[in-house]
Amino acid sequence: MDLDTRNGSSGGTSNMTAVHEDSGPAPEAGASVELGSTLAGSLGRWRPPSIALVAGLLLTAALALTALAVYNRNERRVLNLRVRELSLVVQSTAPSIQTPLASAAALADATGGSPQHFRSFMAPYVGRGRQFTSVSLWPVSTPRGRPTAVLGTAPQLASTPARAAQFLGRANRPGVMNVTGFLSSAHPSIGFAYRVPGHTRGFAVYAENPLPANRRSTLERNSAFSDLKYALYLGHSRRTSDVLVTSEKRLPLTGRQATSVVPFGAGAFTVVVAPRGSLGGTFFKDLPWIIAIAGVLVTLAAVLMTDRLARRRQQAERLAGVLDRVAAENRRMYTEQRSISQSLQHALLPEIMPELNGLRVNARYVPAATGVDVGGDWYDLVAVDDRRVLLVIGDVSGHGLRAATTMALLRHATLAYVTQDCSPATVLAKLSDFVNSGPHDYFATVLCALIDVDRHQLTMASAGHLAPLVLNGGGGEFARVQPDAPIGVTPGSRYHEATVSVPPEAVVVAFTDGLVERRGEVIDVGLDRLRSLAMRHKLPVDDLLTELARDLTSEDHYDDAAMVGIQWQN
Amino acid sequence: MAELDRDHTAEVEIDTRYDPAGVPIVTVAGELDVSNAATLQATVASIVAKRPERLIFSLGDLHYMDSAGIAVLLGAADKVNAVHLRDPSPVVRRVIELTGLAGVLSIES
Repeated sequence: MDLDTRNGSSGGTSNMTAVHEDSGPAPEAGASVELGSTLAGSLGRWRPPSIALVAGLLLTAALALTALAVYNRNERRVLNLRVRELSLVVQSTAPSIQTPLASAAALADATGGSPQHFRSFMAPYVGRGRQFTSVSLWPVSTPRGRPTAVLGTAPQLASTPARAAQFLGRANRPGVMNVTGFLSSAHPSIGFAYRVPGHTRGFAVYAENPLPANRRSTLERNSAFSDLKYALYLGHSRRTSDVLVTSEKRLPLTGRQATSVVPFGAGAFTVVVAPRGSLGGTFFKDLPWIIAIAGVLVTLAAVLMTDRLARRRQQAERLAGVLDRVAAENRRMYTEQRSISQSLQHALLPEIMPELNGLRVNARYVPAATGVDVGGDWYDLVAVDDRRVLLVIGDVSGHGLRAATTMALLRHATLAYVTQDCSPATVLAKLSDFVNSGPHDYFATVLCALIDVDRHQLTMASAGHLAPLVLNGGGGEFARVQPDAPIGVTPGSRYHEATVSVPPEAVVVAFTDGLVERRGEVIDVGLDRLRSLAMRHKLPVDDLLTELARDLTSEDHYDDAAMVGIQWQN
Repeated sequence: MAELDRDHTAEVEIDTRYDPAGVPIVTVAGELDVSNAATLQATVASIVAKRPERLIFSLGDLHYMDSAGIAVLLGAADKVNAVHLRDPSPVVRRVIELTGLAGVLSIES
């Protein structure tokens, strides 16, 4: 059905293998694997529809055969019932024949064989449309074998004296009706004889009726047995020559049939019947076929559907394979790009921190957990002279390369201003003038802090930046510095300066908002979190920054964060 | 402030009305961040083009605002003489205060 099996459009899990093998190293090896998997795939592709076909046909066959078996058993049972019914009907006619003959025989015995009495008694039974065609009175003892009185037509028995002597004499059981047939004669007939028991010289009454010339007699249409073909044989025989009457042109009956032997006087008839159609109704006769046809149709439908589903699954798997590859490629590119971003970020930040006696400094940059953009966070530590160092930390609004280049610009501008005048407020004012001198669509928060190592003092100015955290033994407070507007917001901005003293061995942590800001909470909550976390640690500043970076930047933190830590040492 | 989560799209609703004196009132509700600040920027641009004397941002239902959102407000403050922030939630109010912007964007309760 699916000829397009090249190119891995075959199915099953093997297709996945083909997809992976596509990127395999050797083209030849890849091709042979593909061929193999195509073969396996096309087999796998056919497996579900084949199973559906076989299962469907087996089920259909089983159901149809069961229906057929049930039908056959039912037909046999019904036919057996019907043949018994027919036998009873045949048997029930015996008394109506025997009774007048027995009465006439008794009368003959009583009247010494009076032909007159016999005639007058039997006259109502004989003639056209009556019970018998021919009735005759026979003295049993006479060896000649001739009737003494005859009513109706002449009996055929009279034309065969030897047979008459035998039938009415030795072979005749007294007290019960005896039956004989002239079946090979030109006028086939059946004869009945009755002789009263106990009289050795008594009389026998013999009646004869013709059989239909061709033995055929169809039952009337409305008869209870019109649905049967039948054949009635004389005696226990089933030879066609012994048939008395039948509904059929050709004998013996064929097909399903039932036989019953009917005792009839001293003799017997054999009844054979066969159904004309279905005795249990045509529906049950057709049921196996209905089941078979419906079953085959349903099976074919199931096969088509299975085939379609199998194809769809295959397509889905193929698509999934492609998507897997695309996703893997995306992941690879993302990782690569992210690592490029991070390398760039690190390249833009200072590598070496100034070393001053009595001051230990360290910095951390934590990129956002997701995303590939370069951030706009930066920091710098510039040694102004032997005992003073200027800390700068800032954050440019926006993200990406633009924020990063802006950050680099601001960072280098700041470094230039520091060499002219290291006052934090002056540095920020110059930076603000520089940014506002041209068109710009960003702003930046910047904190400048001049650190005097010996005096334990920080002189700070903030352009909208968060105040640094000052840790002192067990305690910790954010430095009090009033923030002015960020750089780039208002032209001609001037900045307040504040000087705070820090205890000996204090630790100062300056940071960007990425460390504390969380969506859905007031920023003070994040500031408190930082403060309490930092207070718990009494570590060297390097370890403190590592701990804070680990604890405050979770897997889903979405913003870059920068930290600079300063520790006074004795 | 360099928000990097570009996949996340915050929900923001922006509605502009004018008070009887003809002062534009821009109501911003939901979360305003780098993913949707441009929507507000477009609204603000069409308003400041008419050079109004004042501009009011109603922020009672604004639950989050990042630096990109602040940049839009500052951009408006650059073009309009008086920009007021009405009813900012503590989340927004503290960001304004801590970034020293209370003088640029006046907060009214």
